[in-house]
Amino acid sequence: MATTITAGITTSTALNITTDTSGVLNFQTAGSVSAMTISSTGVSIPGALIANTATITSATIASATIGTITSATISSATVANLAIGSGSVTTALGQGNASTLKNRIINGAMVIDQRNSGASVTPTNGQYSLDRWYFFVSQSSKLTAQQSSTAPAGFNNSLLITSSSAYSIGSGDFFSFQQKIEGYNVGDLNWGTANAKNVTLSFWVQSSLTGTFGGAFGNGAANRSYPFTYSIPVANTWTQISITIAGDTTGTWATNNTAGLAVYFSLGTGSTLSGTAGAWAAGNYQNATGATSVVGTNGATFYITGVQLEVGSSATGFEYRQYGQEFALCQRYYEVCSTTYLQAAQAGGGSNIVTGQYRVTKRATPTLTLTQVVGSGGGQFSNTVDNWSASAAVDGNGRIGWSATSSAEL
Amino acid sequence: MYKLYNQGVEPCVIRLSDGAFIPFDPANSDYQAYLKWVNEGNIAQLADEVKA
Repeated sequence: MATTITAGITTSTALNITTDTSGVLNFQTAGSVSAMTISSTGVSIPGALIANTATITSATIASATIGTITSATISSATVANLAIGSGSVTTALGQGNASTLKNRIINGAMVIDQRNSGASVTPTNGQYSLDRWYFFVSQSSKLTAQQSSTAPAGFNNSLLITSSSAYSIGSGDFFSFQQKIEGYNVGDLNWGTANAKNVTLSFWVQSSLTGTFGGAFGNGAANRSYPFTYSIPVANTWTQISITIAGDTTGTWATNNTAGLAVYFSLGTGSTLSGTAGAWAAGNYQNATGATSVVGTNGATFYITGVQLEVGSSATGFEYRQYGQEFALCQRYYEVCSTTYLQAAQAGGGSNIVTGQYRVTKRATPTLTLTQVVGSGGGQFSNTVDNWSASAAVDGNGRIGWSATSSAEL
Repeated sequence: MYKLYNQGVEPCVIRLSDGAFIPFDPANSDYQAYLKWVNEGNIAQLADEVKA
């Protein structure tokens, strides 16, 4: 039989419950089992603390082990020492700009353009536009690409693709741009193992077209793919996209200086290289079946920026890196080298060699393209991941000079 | 089209379309493209003789 104890109905009448002689007040639910104990040292709740809705205005938890929090929102808190054994901390998309080198994409804000300095290019297959962004096209002259100053709030640049015709995609056609990420920079994802981590790709996109667009994740060997889709609901309006995928537990994923992971953004892909969205597949797919073709509409525009790939199941704010930092990251893969001269006093009648030091050690021995500024003949003398040298016959003033570009792209 | 080159310290191959020097590094993607071209049955031009 239950007994109800009720305080007085007027505010001046309190309900007082007095402790035992030891100062302990027990609330018991069954026999001697305490649901809560209040003593001079604090409050003890041996079982689970359950509340549909609760507001704690101010509290200090000296020491506690919390088993499971199914759902909670902490609007503001100061935590002196917090360890999260398993779980994730979520911030609203577009907020929380902590910079911890979390973004595996390089030049995601489309700021660096060493090759073209903002000029429009009509990419051939395998050609780079902005640094680290590579075009994969089966037909020439169907699109142009360039750095744009059109960007959503918080960004200054984007990559603009413009369709040059209304091209009907054939089954074997492919039009996409991609970034290959070096294996060293995605090795911690543990893809290809049972411990494969989830990743989230986020970006801002704007197009004159609306509908369902697509792309894919793939490995360096191009035999594992995960096609994805995203929606652009309103034309000519920036939309932020977030795509989370489960890491691949099979397949071979490089963890060295070769291509570890590729992210494709399709601009139109035929059925041969298109696959079912939302699942890993053995094969080389660069797009999701049925996605919108940008190259199918003459004059269609497609802008993208703020591309970020991070570990976890939710997108966090874009990681803004300092310009010099981002530039150096790009130079691991491509570098324009200043002209190096050998002065008359040093030049002799035999082998005349100039040497240039790369500012950033290259991913692999780079491909070297030389431009002769002074002198004649000759060519590459040596080329390593750290430096280059070239020989030539001196000009009339006893000088030679070369400039160079080096490419160690994936 | 490619042409072998052995005028420097490290032998390499020249890509004739742009004159780029491609090292014999298996991790270099241009070298991988060259190997694919060779595997398709193509043969690079011989290198010029080394001048004394």
